Amino acid sequence: MKLLLVEDDLDMGNGVRIALADQHLDVVWVRRLNDAMQALDNGLFDMVILDLGLPDGPGLDLLLNQRRKRLHLPVLILSARDGLQDRLQGLDAGADDYLVKPFALEELLSRVRALARRSYGFDGEILELRGLAMHESTRRISVDGRNVELSRCEYDLLALLIKRVDRVVTRRMLEEQVLPGGAENGSNALEVHVSNLRRKIGPGFIRTVRGIGYVVDAKLNEVGGH
Amino acid sequence: MRSLMPVLKRWFRPSLGGRLLLTQLMMLVMLWTMLVTASFYAAYNDDYLLATDPVLDLILSVSDNLADAPVRQKQSLAAIDRKLRLEYGDGADESRFAPIFFVRQNGELIYQSSPQLPPGRDRQLEVIEKVNVDGATWRMRTRRSEQTGTEVSFAIPTLTGVLITFNSRGYYLLPLLISLPFLAFPAWWSIRLALRPWRRLSDEISMRGSDDLSPLGFKASHSELKPFVTSINTLLARVHNSALRERSLIADAAHELRTPLAAMRVNVEALRQQTADPRQRQLMDSLLRSNHRATRMVQQLLQLMRSEAAADGGGTQVMRIDSMVQDRLAEQDTLAAARSVELELEIEASATPMLIHAEPEGMASLVDNLVDNAIKYSPPGGIVTVQVQVVQAQVVLSVSDAGPGIAPEMRERVFNRFFRAPDQVQSGSGLGLSIVQNVVTRHGGTISLHASARGGLLCRVTLNLATQPAAVSAALASGRA
Repeated sequence: MKLLLVEDDLDMGNGVRIALADQHLDVVWVRRLNDAMQALDNGLFDMVILDLGLPDGPGLDLLLNQRRKRLHLPVLILSARDGLQDRLQGLDAGADDYLVKPFALEELLSRVRALARRSYGFDGEILELRGLAMHESTRRISVDGRNVELSRCEYDLLALLIKRVDRVVTRRMLEEQVLPGGAENGSNALEVHVSNLRRKIGPGFIRTVRGIGYVVDAKLNEVGGH
Repeated sequence: MRSLMPVLKRWFRPSLGGRLLLTQLMMLVMLWTMLVTASFYAAYNDDYLLATDPVLDLILSVSDNLADAPVRQKQSLAAIDRKLRLEYGDGADESRFAPIFFVRQNGELIYQSSPQLPPGRDRQLEVIEKVNVDGATWRMRTRRSEQTGTEVSFAIPTLTGVLITFNSRGYYLLPLLISLPFLAFPAWWSIRLALRPWRRLSDEISMRGSDDLSPLGFKASHSELKPFVTSINTLLARVHNSALRERSLIADAAHELRTPLAAMRVNVEALRQQTADPRQRQLMDSLLRSNHRATRMVQQLLQLMRSEAAADGGGTQVMRIDSMVQDRLAEQDTLAAARSVELELEIEASATPMLIHAEPEGMASLVDNLVDNAIKYSPPGGIVTVQVQVVQAQVVLSVSDAGPGIAPEMRERVFNRFFRAPDQVQSGSGLGLSIVQNVVTRHGGTISLHASARGGLLCRVTLNLATQPAAVSAALASGRA
């Protein structure tokens, strides 16, 4: 996978480049907005990691430029600006994710992986996670090679969780996006769907965060690692 | 008596209006006194009544012309007497203030208006003479008709007598005393009216909060108030600017520190991935911990500065606190999972939607700091419980953990900036709770610390529910969309 890293800070850029390269990712690092534009015009990239404050212009310009050209290259913004307004601005401009500096390397890697999955998903590829395979194009799920029949709701629920792996998806969001009646019915419909889903795919995948939402962890034994 | 004291105190509290009123009344009394004095002085100096020939002539001619009809003569003289008493005295028969006259015809006393003054034997003609009777002094003038020899003596009490009358009856003072309240009320009213700009200004100053550094809205066109308002505004602007400068200095510094801190962290973590040597990893872990502490401090400094900037008029909006808390907790789960702490949220079902007027950044940092603290002090495997419930017209947010808690005597002090409870194992900046308190106060809420059921800390924040129906329905509509 080929990544374009746009970051003007020398130490920061170099650190991220080496860390990503260690994960066997192909990283091209540029420090100017113009260089980034050129690199995107010339080469094929699978993802962009973008800093917002660049010496020769705002990083958002690159994003807007890309979106104008109707290119749906996944973009992860990496910024020291953590205001709500900045995040919303970045996401509104079409960024797929927004990570505030300083961040844990693990967090960056996890988000890069999630974005990669998503972008491959759009191409009809298979998303795999601990033996669970999801075929975006055919909307089919298999666990350890065994096909699992899911209802429409259950599939949407699982797909949403898997695409946002390692991050808790709130109950409200799930209810709004997955349940046919929306969030209004206020019943335990969501719990029912999740428990059905667990019964079908096995109990180890979906973790409940009580009252808050659900999460699919990338690594099962990550909890309690410290 | 006791209840009267505050009223009296309030009445006699120094005030500019009272001062003005008092000086005005004092001026009035002084003018009055001067006027009275002047009129007495004038009365003393020229006895105009005694000097008026027509009165004497009138009495003389009435006496002479009616000499052949004594009954009608007496009646006419009595009529003149009454008129004089009415005009110059107070109308009473025994007045010590009224003028008196005698009429002698052919050596006989034919009329005496009052027995107060016995008609003396030796009289000088056309001279003002003093007559002492029973301690009272009279001034008398006598005229004799050349043709008939009829004599008229006309006497008025001297000024001493007048003054005695004046004191005993309050002839001049009484109107002043009666009219004083009537004068005081318009004076008080006019002072109130004239001082209205001043009152409006002081009202505006007293109404504004202590953190409000915006210029006064009062437009002073009065020459007395203008310099005052101008210098207050200049002072406010200067304070505001210096607060802004200080805040932006800290915010800038914190912001600029972030990138190198982030770079340091990424590099150490990349390095850590490359080595399997436990001794090296241990060193790198402590590097990362220090980095984390510095990062957190920088983060909280930024939050604090933002929260203070927002206090100067940040945009508040109506928001659902339950979904906001849910969103923030979802974000915090990564940290909790890394420390194997379990988060749980209990939202108590309520008939009223949990809407509050709040400024989103501030609220987010409030929840983040409380939950972050709870996670940090929780033992591995511990549970952090967040509860949101509606109690009367308020929403109560409580965060409890199973950590060491805070001793009751420390609970006030932990809100101070950079205060850290002694024997602290966890790293921390000591800014978290002071940020929380700042946000809570700004939103008109309260915060209190207690012991949780699991022996840790229970932090309870109370905020007012939004009440405006229009804003509420708008927020509900946008929440659905």
